Amino acid sequence: MYHIALKMLLGNRSKYVVLVSGLTFATLLMTQQCAIFCGLMLWTTGSLQNMRSKIWVTDPKVEQVNEVRQLRDTDVGRVRSVEGTAWAVPLFWGLQQAKLANGTFKQIQLVGLESATLVGRPHQMVAGRIEDVRLPNAVVIDELAILRLSAGRAKPIGLGDTFEINDREARVVGVCRTAKSFFGMPYIFTTYDQALQFAPKTRKMLSFILAEPADGWTVEATARSIERTTGLRAYTEKDFFWATIRWYFRNTGIPMSFGITILLGFFVGVAVSGQTFYTFVLENLRHLGALKAMGASDGLLARMLILQALTVGLIGYGLGIGLTCLFGVLVLKKGEPPFMLPYQVPLGALGAVLFICIFAALLGIRQIRKLEPAIVFRG
Amino acid sequence: MAENKNNYAVHVRGVSKTFGSGLTAVAALKTVNFDAREGELLMIVGPSGCGKTTLLSTIAGTLQFDVGEIDVFGLALQKMTKSQTTTFRRQNIGFIFQEFHLIPALSAVENVSVPLLINGASRAIAEKKSHALLAQVGLEGRGHELPTNLSGGQQQRVAIARALVHEPRLIICDEPTSALDKENGARIMELLQRVARAPGRCVVVVTHDNRIFKYADRMTEMEDGRIARVHDIKDGQSPPFSPN
Repeated sequence: MYHIALKMLLGNRSKYVVLVSGLTFATLLMTQQCAIFCGLMLWTTGSLQNMRSKIWVTDPKVEQVNEVRQLRDTDVGRVRSVEGTAWAVPLFWGLQQAKLANGTFKQIQLVGLESATLVGRPHQMVAGRIEDVRLPNAVVIDELAILRLSAGRAKPIGLGDTFEINDREARVVGVCRTAKSFFGMPYIFTTYDQALQFAPKTRKMLSFILAEPADGWTVEATARSIERTTGLRAYTEKDFFWATIRWYFRNTGIPMSFGITILLGFFVGVAVSGQTFYTFVLENLRHLGALKAMGASDGLLARMLILQALTVGLIGYGLGIGLTCLFGVLVLKKGEPPFMLPYQVPLGALGAVLFICIFAALLGIRQIRKLEPAIVFRG
Repeated sequence: MAENKNNYAVHVRGVSKTFGSGLTAVAALKTVNFDAREGELLMIVGPSGCGKTTLLSTIAGTLQFDVGEIDVFGLALQKMTKSQTTTFRRQNIGFIFQEFHLIPALSAVENVSVPLLINGASRAIAEKKSHALLAQVGLEGRGHELPTNLSGGQQQRVAIARALVHEPRLIICDEPTSALDKENGARIMELLQRVARAPGRCVVVVTHDNRIFKYADRMTEMEDGRIARVHDIKDGQSPPFSPN
């Protein structure tokens, strides 16, 4: 009987198309918005991805990676002396102004790496060598900086070119690839000492301390040890990642606005598919009544309806996911808007679509249970 | 004649059915007594609203009655659960509806296969049997056609094939010729007459169509929810009344 159910479904072309379209749209809206949201959240942790370290030591009041409360220079030594710490290095991170060739200014994220080890260095160099960043006034820029800092130049900024950071000349010795940041500003890497020269002087200049656990110590144990001994906050990389995400959840309207759109997608799916499927059942009520009169049980008819609902659901879901992936491929080429599709998103969307289908089928099943087979004898 | 339930295909005693309640209550069947014998084509006639279709629905097990007893081939409907009634219909009843109720998205052969599929037959066996039955009703080679591509007469023949395909003992027909011309109507009734003659079978027809009265073995006339008269009719003779 199941092939009969599918033929009945496919035979009603207009309803079938509306059902599949509704579920495709709902899936697309839910997964695409979720993927943009996940991508955006990932951007908030751009610094964590670009300056990898197992432990990040911060001021006790710091709640997320894009928030800096300067530490004392002596704190580096204090962290190094903590039991369980293999090594600790200073890191400068701050928003600075770069002057472009045409006289305009752009904000940049200046990162100062400890010059001996270059811990926190970018993972992938596109041109030049990261070691050259130790040369006087040398900086390594990321690919976004080429776009942002090339205004007023005959050709895009590259190796050997100079620009100004806070009225001080910076010379490009390398180009690297970085993960995008939430603020959309380019990363400029230099040494810690030179970063202090580029940045305006303040009483305290140390942004973070990057540390590594000693042999035989776990990352968590070392972080707790640092916190106990120094009174500073020590995040593991994973904790800092989730603390940052949680901060954006709590303190911005981003989750709310995306959440509303995602919910809208879900409710559009429920409304369009539920209503259309219900109408489909109503239109077929006399045929279903005939089947019931001929001895089809409520259970068999219910299974036929569930099969019909799941068929349109899975086709709509597949098309929706396909369109989301297509969108992802297109935007990942451009880099904007943010896009990340972890497996939980399609899985969640599948759950939502199945819920919509079962809900729609239940509306029909309710009608079938109420349906008297004697309806077929009425004119 | 001495009553012996076991000799009847359908044996109805004291059946009443009321729709609605209170001031809006309508008594559709009022203590109806009625029989249909094995091997006969029995027609139920009467004016609109007299209870013909309600009686047909109760015999077919598609409508519950309030009081009384209905035995169909020895099976007591009043003692059956809902699930048992469904199984009873599936195995014992073939339906021919006034409006055919063919599923428009299915081909003729698929429509005919439905009762067999409901009874658990495989698709291949069901379609093979359906093709054979379509040939018997004169639709050989038309099995792949959708109902919309068939004439009214052809659609009714598909519906008849569907009613017979699972070899039910009781065939229930509701105005089977109302949508057909004289020639097609005659052909359908000849077919039903042949089916009724088969051993252990019975055909009950509700109709207004006086052109087909001559095919009845007996006619039961209903008035106001009751059986008014029962007529035995010899082959080829018209009944002694003309219902509207």
